[in-house]
Amino acid sequence: MKKQFFLSCLLLFIGATAFGQSIQFEKYVLPNGLKVILHEDHSAPVVAVTALYHVGSKNEDTARTGFAHFFEHLLFEGSENIKRGEFDKYVTNAGGALNANTSQDRTFYYELLPSNQVELGLWLESERMMHAKIEQVGVNTQREVVKEEKRQRMDNRPYGSFLNEMLKRAFKVHPYKWSPIGSMEHLNAAKLEEFIQFYKTYYVPNNCVLSIAGDFNKAELKEKIAAYFGSIPKGTIAINRPNIKEPALGGEVRDIIYDNIQLPGVFQAYRAPKQGGDEYYAFNVLSTILSGGESSRMNKSLVDKKQQAAAAQSVPFFNEDEGLLIALAIANVGVKIETLEQSMDSVTDQLKKELVSEREFQKVKNQITSELVSSKATMAGIAESLANNEVYFGDANLINTELEKYNKVTREDVLNVAKKYLNKDNRVVLYYLPKQKSASK
Amino acid sequence: MKKIFNIIICFLPIAAFSQNIDRSKAPVPGKAPIIQVANPVKFTLANGLKVYVVKNTKLPRVIAQLSFDVDGFKEGDKAGLAEMAGQLAKRGTTTKSKEQLDEAVEYLGGSLSTSSTSAVAISLKSNFPTLFGLLSEVVLHPALNAEELEKVRKQTISGIESNKDDADAIANNVVKKLVYGANHPFGEIMTTKTVNAIKAEDVKSFIGDYWKPNIASLIFVGDIEPADAKKLAEKYFGAWQKGTVPVQQFEKSARPAKTYIAVVDRPSSVQSVVTIATPLQLVKGAPNDIPANVMNNILGGGFSGRLFANLREKHGFTYGAYSSLETNKYVGIFKAEASVRNEKTDSSIQETLAEINTIRSVKVDDGELSRMKNYLAGGFARSLENPTTIAGFALNIEKYNLPADYYQKYLTNLASVSALQVQEAATSLLQPSQMHIVVVGDAKQVAKGLEKYGEVKYFDIEGNEIAAPKEVKVDASLTLDVLINKTVEAMGGKASIEKIKDVQLNGKVGVMGQSIDVVQKIIQPGSAVMLMSMGGMVISKQAVVDGKYEVSQQGMQAPITDDLKEGLDESSYLVPELMYQQKGYKLAIVGMEQVEGKDAIDVEITAPSGKKSHRFYDKETYLLVKTTKVEKGPQGPVTQQQYYKNYQKVDGVAFAKEAVMDLGQFKMNLNFETIKVNQGLKLEDLK
Repeated sequence: MKKQFFLSCLLLFIGATAFGQSIQFEKYVLPNGLKVILHEDHSAPVVAVTALYHVGSKNEDTARTGFAHFFEHLLFEGSENIKRGEFDKYVTNAGGALNANTSQDRTFYYELLPSNQVELGLWLESERMMHAKIEQVGVNTQREVVKEEKRQRMDNRPYGSFLNEMLKRAFKVHPYKWSPIGSMEHLNAAKLEEFIQFYKTYYVPNNCVLSIAGDFNKAELKEKIAAYFGSIPKGTIAINRPNIKEPALGGEVRDIIYDNIQLPGVFQAYRAPKQGGDEYYAFNVLSTILSGGESSRMNKSLVDKKQQAAAAQSVPFFNEDEGLLIALAIANVGVKIETLEQSMDSVTDQLKKELVSEREFQKVKNQITSELVSSKATMAGIAESLANNEVYFGDANLINTELEKYNKVTREDVLNVAKKYLNKDNRVVLYYLPKQKSASK
Repeated sequence: MKKIFNIIICFLPIAAFSQNIDRSKAPVPGKAPIIQVANPVKFTLANGLKVYVVKNTKLPRVIAQLSFDVDGFKEGDKAGLAEMAGQLAKRGTTTKSKEQLDEAVEYLGGSLSTSSTSAVAISLKSNFPTLFGLLSEVVLHPALNAEELEKVRKQTISGIESNKDDADAIANNVVKKLVYGANHPFGEIMTTKTVNAIKAEDVKSFIGDYWKPNIASLIFVGDIEPADAKKLAEKYFGAWQKGTVPVQQFEKSARPAKTYIAVVDRPSSVQSVVTIATPLQLVKGAPNDIPANVMNNILGGGFSGRLFANLREKHGFTYGAYSSLETNKYVGIFKAEASVRNEKTDSSIQETLAEINTIRSVKVDDGELSRMKNYLAGGFARSLENPTTIAGFALNIEKYNLPADYYQKYLTNLASVSALQVQEAATSLLQPSQMHIVVVGDAKQVAKGLEKYGEVKYFDIEGNEIAAPKEVKVDASLTLDVLINKTVEAMGGKASIEKIKDVQLNGKVGVMGQSIDVVQKIIQPGSAVMLMSMGGMVISKQAVVDGKYEVSQQGMQAPITDDLKEGLDESSYLVPELMYQQKGYKLAIVGMEQVEGKDAIDVEITAPSGKKSHRFYDKETYLLVKTTKVEKGPQGPVTQQQYYKNYQKVDGVAFAKEAVMDLGQFKMNLNFETIKVNQGLKLEDLK
């Protein structure tokens, strides 16, 4: 026993030094407020040009939900110098790839390019920030695309509505009560001027981090960044940053959703602290104990041993403000949904009753260490991580220090967050059941 | 110091404005990066195992990948064997259960996976030697036990079952069987039957025969010294015995003599999956390999290909249209594919063939050619970010016997591809008069008119040729009243049917390998209950008793809609044909369809709520053989079908002893074992 503990410490120690390679970067601010982060790395002839705007669905007007995500589509429509429908062609013709995504807190755009095309990335992102085309024709087109996306991702996908259903029950006052896809009615009702206003408010250099990683010459690149972005004027409209404290849930919320599915599912969401604090790191450790890999507790107990679940998972859903820990399981054929929920509860109850064993705790930390290393495997991953850390915590360098935060987490911390948060009066439980298919003669 | 730094930074932008940029057009790309493709360190162990080491210290991580060169293993009536063996390999070793193995791997923060021809382990450098030991244990001493095999079998069969209704999966199976041929290993199709035939011994002999060091390559990628890799390889794989690997002979796949159409009828389809395909003799490293790749990308590579521009952007037939070209040392394949709206099936084939003809007959212009070269060069450069790409290069060089500098010279060779070479690749590889054109869709709607491209043949979902569905017209003298009368007669006649006051049917349903008990009780008129239970626990109940409706699943009540009420009411009649007219249903004979090989009269039923369904009556016996209705499903509308078979008379009335419910994603077979009539059931017996 003692020997094993010694071995664990040794492993941990090795892990930490092995991890010690730090990501070098330079951070500076242009006079117009644009934050720039550059990580120069010549190991492969590639570059990731990314722009993170600090606007997500939580910044939206309650009568105009879905705006932030809608912009993620609209801003591929073109600009004064880029014709409609050509934005992505420039990138694909250069052998690159591009995309964007929107969360409740931010919107993120990226181009992955061969390194001799880095300037193309600067041109595209500066055009997008400077004078994107916000026109009725583009609004109409993208509205249809977003509706298709909603149909495909939420309405037509089994259990696809669960996040929406969960959020509206887990949050009563905070704008996290709606998801980024928002309301189609709101998008239909919005006038062109409102879209223009949103663009002028949030798509400004002082609300953006331009994060670039890869094979470039930093001195030359800085000149080019200044040339492409320096003349874009600073935003002047006040940015809405909601400061709303969500009250405690005040009792378990339960509901049933009927969906086009074959197998019933249980979705449990526990209210959780916001990202970045000590409890946040303990929570991520806890989530990995629950469902990190084949040997995790949910997989071993629900899927392998009891064979009650076809799939089981825990999903940490952390944000700038309060988050959720979601545990879900899809029932095997013929398994009663109540039985499945009881088994899920016994897994979480155990976390509240007993300290995790040293061996299991070490396993989970080793898994997290591996994940942190792997997240630095691509230039895109590094650029995004630097930008996220800068925007959320004002500390791009967290990319190099995050492991220390995990190393500080103790087994007692995990027990404490489990006791504090994994309680019935702090959770929403949804049963997903198949819509009746009458098999009448 | 920091302050000064900031000041310098602030100056920079202003100075930089002097640098002129022209915003009106895209910037000119910089000089093409010099791409260095490192050569791995290579050595061979005494047992023939080839080892490659690609050192890359960017991350403190190591990947080990063992690959077996097993291309073309013929499985015959055990199709799926290799795939299942690959899945089973990592589910425990002779000394560790699956649970112990998973825990040991994850304790190292690592991952370990296997397939029929590979085993891969990844972890941080510090834990890698231990993980590598586990990898060798999995490869050299897998447990391959029967209990784990059953779990893999169960998962594989549910996968096959759910694919039966997936048009893309059907197309994929039928295309490979037709293009490669049923006797070629690449043309084999896994079915529930073949998967059920696989035994633990088969898996053991597959692994025993094919997982041999002399046909394997072991690649290390990451933060590891070649000398250390060598020590590990020798320690863990040095004692591995080499052996003779069976070599199989099979016919070369040839083009069809003439272009033909293979239709797979899928009556519920709202889109047709159209594939135009041909086998290829194209080997990586051949002189036409790179030009052929350029040609394929111009024709149908991603969003910038001609097929996408034509079928999606110009005509709006589809959400996407693409072509692909795979090289292989035995036989490669070219495919042009799109899922198109039913009514545009014919036009899509026409446009795709037209694009193939154009790329054969007209030289590509310089602009398009150089755009495509940029696209491919950029993609090549980006692929190098992942160090396993280099490892993949090493494998290809070995497998295809390429020159050692094939990848170093790739970009130069790509740049020198000429328009003429592109055209030659098209004319030599793509022969429009010798294509397989596979259409998976609603034959009734889409097959007409396709003869102009070649003979139209019909195939089932496993790629076996079947007879063309015969088009039979309904006899004009058959009126609805006559049909209803004949059906009622066939069921036993109005008098006998009305003599039955109550009936109880007991049966079993088999679904995904599990058995569910079904009890159905009816008291005519108007009351019925159907209970499904498993191991004594009720999992589903639907009832209408004396005007009260109830539907529940696993104890949860479902909301009662008008649709549901109508369906439940209908279920309380042994022969609903007797009540349709008086209850306000509208009926119409709409045509004739084959149901399991026999002609049946198709009657459309419109319920008072407006909901439509179809009932099919056998043309000879007038018994009900099938019902269909359309329900909303996860991927759009789904047609639900039920088949009725094996009618037997009880007290003069015909009952179907077998029913098959086809719910789109899975099928249930219901067999009634006992049918009791007039036992004097009371309403409370239905509760």
